[in-house]
Amino acid sequence: MQIKVTVNAEPTLMDVDPRESLLDVLRERLQLTGTKKGCDHGHCGACTVHLDGRRVLSCLTPAVQADDTTVATIEGIEGIEGPDGELHPLQEAFVRNDALQCGYCTPGQIMSALACVAEGNAGSDEDIREFMSGNLCRCGAYVGIVAAIRSYAAGQP
Amino acid sequence: MYPFEYRRASTLEQALRMSADLAPAAFLAGGTTLYDLMKLGVERPVTVIDVNRIPELSHLRLSRSALVIGSGVRMSDLADAREVRESFPIIREALLAGATAQIRNMASIGGNLLQRTRCTYFRGTHPCNKRVPGSGCSAREGIDEGQAVLGGSEHCTAVYPGDLATALLALDAAVDVLGPDGARSLALADLHRAPGDRPEQDHTLRPGELITAVRVPATRMRQAYTKLRPRESYSFAWASAAVTLSLHPDTATIEQSRVVLGGLATRPWRVRAVEDWLHGRPLVEAVALEAGRLALRDAEAGRHKAFRIDLGTRAVADALLRAGEQHE
Amino acid sequence: MSDVLRVDAREKVTGKARYGADRTPEGLLHAAFATATIARGRIVEVDTAESEALAGVVSVTTRFGEDELGPPSFVMGGGYGTQSLQPLRGDRIAHRGQPIALVLAENPVVANHAAELITATYEPEAHASHLDADQAETLLQREAIPIPFADDLTFGDAETDMAAAQTVVDATYEHPAQNATPLELLSAVVQWHEDRLLIHEGTQNAGALRNGLARQLNLDPQQIEVRSRYLGGAFGQRNAQHPYLAPLVLAARRAGRPVKLVLTRQQTFHQASFRPQTRHRITLGADATGRMTAAVHEIDQQTSRHDLFPGGYAKVTSRLYGIPSYRSRQRLVRNDIQTPGYVRAPFEQPGVWAFESAVDELAARVGADPVAFRLANDTSHDPVSGLPFSSRHLGECLRRGAQAFGWEQRPLAPGDWTDDEGNRIGWGVAVGAYPANVTPARARVRVEPDGTVLVETDGHEMGQGLTSAVTSLVTRELGIPAEQVRVRLGDTRVGAQPLTAGSWGTASTLPAVQAALEQLKAGESGAEAGNGLPTALADRAANGLVAAAGPVYGEFAAFSFIAHFVEVRLERVTGRIRVPRVLSVADCGRVANRVTAASQVRGGVVWGLGAALREHLVTDPRLGGFLNASLEEYPISVNADICAIDVDFVDRPDPLLNSSGVKGLGEVAMVGVAPAVTNAIWHATGQRLRKLPITIADLPAGGRRPPSGPSTGGSRPTG
Repeated sequence: MQIKVTVNAEPTLMDVDPRESLLDVLRERLQLTGTKKGCDHGHCGACTVHLDGRRVLSCLTPAVQADDTTVATIEGIEGIEGPDGELHPLQEAFVRNDALQCGYCTPGQIMSALACVAEGNAGSDEDIREFMSGNLCRCGAYVGIVAAIRSYAAGQP
Repeated sequence: MYPFEYRRASTLEQALRMSADLAPAAFLAGGTTLYDLMKLGVERPVTVIDVNRIPELSHLRLSRSALVIGSGVRMSDLADAREVRESFPIIREALLAGATAQIRNMASIGGNLLQRTRCTYFRGTHPCNKRVPGSGCSAREGIDEGQAVLGGSEHCTAVYPGDLATALLALDAAVDVLGPDGARSLALADLHRAPGDRPEQDHTLRPGELITAVRVPATRMRQAYTKLRPRESYSFAWASAAVTLSLHPDTATIEQSRVVLGGLATRPWRVRAVEDWLHGRPLVEAVALEAGRLALRDAEAGRHKAFRIDLGTRAVADALLRAGEQHE
Repeated sequence: MSDVLRVDAREKVTGKARYGADRTPEGLLHAAFATATIARGRIVEVDTAESEALAGVVSVTTRFGEDELGPPSFVMGGGYGTQSLQPLRGDRIAHRGQPIALVLAENPVVANHAAELITATYEPEAHASHLDADQAETLLQREAIPIPFADDLTFGDAETDMAAAQTVVDATYEHPAQNATPLELLSAVVQWHEDRLLIHEGTQNAGALRNGLARQLNLDPQQIEVRSRYLGGAFGQRNAQHPYLAPLVLAARRAGRPVKLVLTRQQTFHQASFRPQTRHRITLGADATGRMTAAVHEIDQQTSRHDLFPGGYAKVTSRLYGIPSYRSRQRLVRNDIQTPGYVRAPFEQPGVWAFESAVDELAARVGADPVAFRLANDTSHDPVSGLPFSSRHLGECLRRGAQAFGWEQRPLAPGDWTDDEGNRIGWGVAVGAYPANVTPARARVRVEPDGTVLVETDGHEMGQGLTSAVTSLVTRELGIPAEQVRVRLGDTRVGAQPLTAGSWGTASTLPAVQAALEQLKAGESGAEAGNGLPTALADRAANGLVAAAGPVYGEFAAFSFIAHFVEVRLERVTGRIRVPRVLSVADCGRVANRVTAASQVRGGVVWGLGAALREHLVTDPRLGGFLNASLEEYPISVNADICAIDVDFVDRPDPLLNSSGVKGLGEVAMVGVAPAVTNAIWHATGQRLRKLPITIADLPAGGRRPPSGPSTGGSRPTG
């Protein structure tokens, strides 16, 4: 089945098998491998992307369901390596607070955190912890992740 | 995953027609249950009808008498809705106790109510009467720590895992359904069924029927939801309890209450005997704990699941006490 | 040493860091396994007809010839593999989930469907899946593996001293099997270029992959290139060649196309190693003054039917204190499982949990404060070898930690402390240690035309921060900014890449880099150096074999140390367990890079909390395998489980171990967290719980009612 998806501001036409997940399409066809597979069953959050501006799990999204939507992945985060090689302030906060170790969950954490702040669910450490619990970090960088989101959220107008 | 035909419906009529023409078909909303189980090979529909783009299913309306929730409304949108925050805090509490922000952005209310069990044998490849009728129940002689302590049969003891349905039952909700024979409404209490000798059938919907809305009667009762689980978030319940109640304005004794157990039974489990017992009693800790014990009086300890009876007792007590602390 | 921010953080936050499976070469095929549904027995027939008939399926292989797929070898038996069992090479099924067929297809959807269509008939046999199973076979380790490495440790006369002890604790502790669950699924992309083979796989041991494949497939190691620039976590699970790799390489050669395999999460639980189930009996004696006089540590540990995975629990429990008499007895229990292996602090997590729980019981029995009791039993010499420790600041860890935690406010008696809401409070302490081993490493350093300093070295970056530690060293030695340093590692093009594990990575690589930098500073434009280990060891490492020295060196013994302080709160009505704060003080020698080191410790604490309160593999003894083989049912900690974790370092260079003064950190960070938790739970409740994980189900509900009068002074959590 043919679908039309705007991925990181690029309109994209694709023929997909209805069985294919959005995650596999992003990774295997569009080479957008920043989005990670950690379980393929909605148990880890490593595949978090934004679909029409909301954070979702791309492993539990059949690609056909993304037809006519806008998808943003870590590669499409505004500010990345801009003219001055600048990072998005949230990415900068992750670096400054060492909110990662192996880095495998990090793209999912960042996509999730951007939404978490935008949703208004980053008002307290307790809220951040709860609303970021959909993103497992096996290295155990949670303290740094909470600190990074707290500092980014505080810098928001 | 087994191949299937994908169809997208843009109106309810179209969805019903497709379902009749292309049976056996499954309705796809958020996909967080169906697509997951298809990946596991547990669900193998021949046709999948995508109902995500049917506008009538995503309404949310509050009138003086009821909150009407379209079945296509997403969990997160319902949890964040002003109407829910102000008038039905237990709905928000139960929704936020379930899944994660990402999954709540995807999962629909209709799909949430009809989510299937997380029984490890059901999701695996071992014999399971719910997955393959007649194949036997692996949990019976197996590891039963996650199995239902109430409402099981010799064929199946798989737990109904939802949080929302537990809370909605404490609000005495009803569901509107539409099917080949037209529209009807049924009490939420009549939607889920215990396994009996047909564990493959989780609910009472007829073939081709689709939940279109959930109706929650307006209430001024105090309400609380307590969930105990293996970790603090992103985890299904070991035991949960939803409580709504009202207190006598002068004596502060319990006038009316509804007590529902979650994560412990094969379906959302209302315990009317406890509600009757609570009537006229003061809402103090000893009463709450005794109510908890009564709620689990008929529970089966099995081989490894006795601890969940104890946790159920605590969940009921905690929900009662927390509901009592609220200001009316 | 100047500290740098994690140097690869930028690549990681932008999604540009590429892990093993993040490659889609032209013509890529996708692989999937069908796996055994019995726990032990023989395959009678595998039916692949339906699968082979699917459009898009390129090949289905159920058996490779023994001439083309050579026998595998076990990493702890002088070989390269996670186990000595090679699937798809015979008809034996040794464990549930063992691969029975390999599918190659044009895309992942078809590959996975083809795999699920494969069925098999078996002749099942009775099997054993836990320590007490009927079919299990128990061996005395020192007889089964008659080498010094696996021997029991004995010094003094434990029996006589125990009989003379004033106070004795004798208790048995049950530690469950656990899985490392690195978030990156086990995966590989393999590609032939004529007779050269390129492997992209996240591994801690590129050298073993190269040499193991060469031996199994009759290739020259020089034909094989392995790249493992980034790992999405490893924790021991990627420490050797996995059984899937050789069949994958053969299938790719037959197909003449590159192949990608990504195991399902369920398959990683059944094909990769795990922390074996153990039982520990600890007997401890103390004299009238509160000095520990004798200790006995007896261990039963799972191993597989086909391999002997040697336990090393006594190496650390014998050295935590200056106990003059000690005896260990290690047994191995054969089960029908894949071979268990190394998971972060493999022996130290279970062994020290049991030992430090018993120490706490003994302290309580003699009426001593648990910190004071531990300080009173400290030692400066290794009781096993009689040699001095190269450095040991455990006493300082305890004293500094106690002060920062506010330990003096802690009531001595258990079960008597509640906060204003009636929640029980408990504070616990425990210590940990971890051997300071080193492995051979070489490094090349050169100054590029643009002024960049390029470091090419042995070692793998698993998130522990090795790249940052190397960068930090170069910036300090050469006085250049981190941006001008480039590090290449985890790649057989730049080194032999022996195993990075056992917390020896930083202490092994830095001295080699430092030696090369010395040459550079002496005026060379490019330099190469090793880290000074004996040639015999270096030769082993160069051939992909495990080659570690320590922890006993000629004139000293070297260990890292740590002390953990934990607060628990038990919710009054529900009994919910919360850990509002943890404080850890580590002695890892010189801190190589403070930013990444602090993260290492916090991560270790998170692991310790998970091991204490959540993580355990569940087995249905009738079925074998693991029942909770998913990230839903195997509950690693989520963000909401974790509160404040404060970290401090003694930060004093080890004067003897190596030129950089560093000792390992990644594993000692975890050791002792679990007993600090269980000791805190005892302090809150008066209950000694001797089986992990401890959950709400093990604890009584209903702490006491909130006091009706003014507060009794329970302190608020600071977290």
